[in-house]
Amino acid sequence: MSGAGLAERAGRLLDDAAQVFRGHERAETWLRRHRERLVEPLRLAVAGPPGSGKSTLVNALIGEDVAPVVVEGAGGAPVWFQDGPRPVAHVFPPDAPAWTAPMRRAKEAGHAVDWALGGVSRVVVDWPCRALRHTRLLDAAGVEGDTEVPADALLYVTRHLGDDLTPLQESQSGRGAGAFPVHVMVVLSRADETAGGRPDAILGARQIARRRRREPRVAALCQDVLALSGQLALAGRGLREEEYASVAAVAALPKADADARLLSTDRFTAAGFGVDVPVQRREALLRRFGIGGLRLAVTLVRSGARSRAELGAQLMRQSGLTELQASISDLFTARRDALKARTALIALDHLLRAESRPQAAHLVAELDRLVAGAHEFRELRLLAALRTGRVTLPAELAVEARRLAGGEGTAHAERLGLPAESPPEQLWPVAEDAAGRWHQQTRAATTAGGRRAAEVVLRSCTAILDDLG
Amino acid sequence: MESWEAGPTAYAGPASPVRPGRTELGALATSGAPASLWLDVLDATIRTCQEHGRTDLVSWLWQRRAQLLHPHLRVLVVGAAKQGKSQLINALINAPVCVVGEDRGTMVPTVVRHTAAPTAQLIVRAAPDTAWTPDAARQDSIPLALDRLADALAETVAIQPAATVGRLHADVGVPRSLLASGLQLIDTPPLPGLPAVAPAAVGRLRELATDGRADLVLFVCEAGRELSDAEVAVLADLGRLFPSLVVAYTKTDYAAHWRRDLEASRMRLVQAGVPATVLPLSATLRVRAVQTGDAALNGESGFPALISLLEATVAAKPDRLARATVGVLGRTVTERLAVTLRDDLDAQRAESETSHAVKRLHETQRRMDELRKCATRWQTRLSDEVGDLMSDIEHDLRERTRAVIARADETFTEADPVRVWDEFEQWLREALLEVAQTSLGWLGDRAEWLARAVAAEFPAELGDVLPNWVPGVQGDVSERVTELESPQVERFTMTQKLFTGLRGSYGGVLMVGLVTSLTGMSLINPISLGGGAVFGGKSIREEGKSLLRRRQAVARATVRQHVDEIYVGLAKDAKDSVRRIQRALRDHFTAVTEDLQEAIIESLRSAKADAEREASVREGRARRTEQELIRLAGLQKQALALMAGPG
Repeated sequence: MSGAGLAERAGRLLDDAAQVFRGHERAETWLRRHRERLVEPLRLAVAGPPGSGKSTLVNALIGEDVAPVVVEGAGGAPVWFQDGPRPVAHVFPPDAPAWTAPMRRAKEAGHAVDWALGGVSRVVVDWPCRALRHTRLLDAAGVEGDTEVPADALLYVTRHLGDDLTPLQESQSGRGAGAFPVHVMVVLSRADETAGGRPDAILGARQIARRRRREPRVAALCQDVLALSGQLALAGRGLREEEYASVAAVAALPKADADARLLSTDRFTAAGFGVDVPVQRREALLRRFGIGGLRLAVTLVRSGARSRAELGAQLMRQSGLTELQASISDLFTARRDALKARTALIALDHLLRAESRPQAAHLVAELDRLVAGAHEFRELRLLAALRTGRVTLPAELAVEARRLAGGEGTAHAERLGLPAESPPEQLWPVAEDAAGRWHQQTRAATTAGGRRAAEVVLRSCTAILDDLG
Repeated sequence: MESWEAGPTAYAGPASPVRPGRTELGALATSGAPASLWLDVLDATIRTCQEHGRTDLVSWLWQRRAQLLHPHLRVLVVGAAKQGKSQLINALINAPVCVVGEDRGTMVPTVVRHTAAPTAQLIVRAAPDTAWTPDAARQDSIPLALDRLADALAETVAIQPAATVGRLHADVGVPRSLLASGLQLIDTPPLPGLPAVAPAAVGRLRELATDGRADLVLFVCEAGRELSDAEVAVLADLGRLFPSLVVAYTKTDYAAHWRRDLEASRMRLVQAGVPATVLPLSATLRVRAVQTGDAALNGESGFPALISLLEATVAAKPDRLARATVGVLGRTVTERLAVTLRDDLDAQRAESETSHAVKRLHETQRRMDELRKCATRWQTRLSDEVGDLMSDIEHDLRERTRAVIARADETFTEADPVRVWDEFEQWLREALLEVAQTSLGWLGDRAEWLARAVAAEFPAELGDVLPNWVPGVQGDVSERVTELESPQVERFTMTQKLFTGLRGSYGGVLMVGLVTSLTGMSLINPISLGGGAVFGGKSIREEGKSLLRRRQAVARATVRQHVDEIYVGLAKDAKDSVRRIQRALRDHFTAVTEDLQEAIIESLRSAKADAEREASVREGRARRTEQELIRLAGLQKQALALMAGPG
């Protein structure tokens, strides 16, 4: 009854399907590819409208200035980032084997790959990075992502989540395993620009995100809504000593002077700045931080960030990256088996619908049963609801619910809050106790949401008991 | 251009669609009625629309006309979400009248205008397409608290029934000297789809511009990026409705390389042919400058340029702006009308290929050709068949008469003509009669068949063309088969027999007498007399036989000659009959052909006339359409002249 269990069962179902579709070349390839993907790292797509800061977000997650990777002469191809020994790009032309090409730094930002062989269906970039070890990132040009390689989870990046949620609705398949929106998170990007880029811009953006994530319409389409300033996150992650020195120099000015200089980009880069920071360096600072970021950085230095490391850490926290990483880790990476299984089940559903044959009837039934019994997705929805405050439980109950629903690890002992090597005899009474308590809670809860949450937790408890017994 | 002159406003300009020269326009402009020139062109445009039955355009143009005559200048502020539209208005008039910031954004359009004392109300219009002007019909107006305008607006909008959401707008009045000259600013909700896709935004913006009764559109785009393709497309569409556009490049305080982006955007607009003024603005700096009274900062914010532009436009509205607007409207409307006309013209051209009359003409021509071919065909067939029939009937007669002759020869090899003649003559006549009847009967059958064969050469669609009468064989057969006189044959008379017997017996008496004389008998003795009798008898017999043979030969020759004669006669009769038949059939089918030809020629004539009539009607229509197009071109030229006119 753990996520691994679901992935295992999905894998078995794919194997069964491979038996049924033996001799059907296309279906076999399709199934084999999905079977392989089941054990690969999580594929996380970063998608959104143009100019919303997708590449900056990818860079912030990787921690280096990598994206965008542009293939010269073949724009718009989706780019995957994966962990690799050295930076290199594998270019996949359509209907041809991959081609490995070196990358060079582009003039503005990111990297470029020289290419003269026409169309490119996708690019896979190797980049040595710890963050990519368990997650592959997709920097998609549009909202669609990579049509050939489906992503397991989606970060929908947008500057402004208006009332029109169509792009989000399009990311849902609405059937079977696809009916659970457990794979989407919305990132409100460029948070530092909110409200004219005041120092408290990101705070404002975070408030907006908090309000939006509780809206039922939005909640029905995604797991979480987060505000992020990718630019500041990146600047904070790779803050250099000289940059800190420049910021500190500006901060050392009297407040009125500094504010006047930070009023506009023109003023900041104008001659006669009054502080010993050359124009080039000021321009570089502006590129890296943005004027809003600089205002925040100056405020942070003034309020006590006394070293490069301290300023960097504070910037990262302020930027919302920490929160985003935690959300990704809790809701995506930790439950990647469930998400991978979800992708595989959706793919199988597509196949069974497109290629119906009499022998596949039992596969359809099996798939339906598997999806209907997939408690993991409900657990993920509960975890997200607890995170975002859509469901409110008393404090200690909320902690327990989170733990029992697998928020701190999906092994039985972890769910029950016992040491990892506890024997089943010890687990049983605790699980039974929890089941009893949550059974009561299903009736005691005062809100409908609370009752539903209690039901999900109770189901998790009984699943543990089933497994043990 | 009759209506052109007969219109309600007397037009002083040239009546022809020729573009008035510069000097003419200049003369008009200085001759006392310059302001009405644009009005005349606009009225002419409206009339043209009316003539074309475009009531939609007419009402729209009337509305634009009323608006142009109105002293207020209504500026519509539009753009994608989060570009700083409301900020811009707030900074411009230095009052927080529009909802800004956070993620709430502008929910309903807000009209900001000059009033002596501040007012604010949410207006529920009578219909979605009612104008947003203060004097338009309204269903309800709800006053809003001025001190917390944004919240009050949000709350009031939230409690309105969903059905009225499309009919809401806020109306805010503030005492500002900038607005006192008649300037009204309209804040709008974000255009959908921008900056990524254009079509939805284009439609929405047209609605906004119409309902908002906009005179000028201020398109807002934030610095830090270039105008997107979709935005340029939206502006290009606007450029067809408004003579000049203003693109406000906002948030220049925040973007690092806004000058570069600004240039790029200007370039894109120029490439797209959009006449737009691009102004860099910073609302943040403006607010700050107003707060601190910092003139330098105010200059940096770019707002003085915008204010002077707006003031100049307000001043220019009755003349230059109106003229330019009418120019653009005239161009757009005439283009739109021309598209319909051109489609019409194309449709007419396509129709000429498929019209009924032309089809009928082609069909008749085809039938005519067919008939011509058919005529040659049946004539050839008739002459061929007649030739065949002629030789066949001749051969048939010859064969049959030969058989009769053979039978006759056979008879006269055996029988003595003298004895069997009467009987024979009877048989011969009957045999010949039969020959003639069979042969000529067959000829009659063949003639009928011939007629049918020739008739088959006519197309089946003509129906039955068989002659109802085919001439039979003429001439009486029995007249041709005449009686045959018995030939003149030598008969073996008794005298001849006696004479022949005596001559033969003479030799026998002499021969036997000589032999017997040797024995001493006399020359005439019984023996010699007996010998003479034997000899005489033999001679008579031999003579009789040779005579019979001769008779037989004569009879045969006679019969042959007789039969030949009859054959010749019969053949002549047959040939005559065949010729008669040929003539009769030829006459008949010629008549049929002529009748058909006449009918076809008649229908060809009528089809031609129809086609010609239709073509002339079509041509007339096309000519009218073309003239209409030329007229439109003239109107457009006048409209364009307004744009290029002095000022």
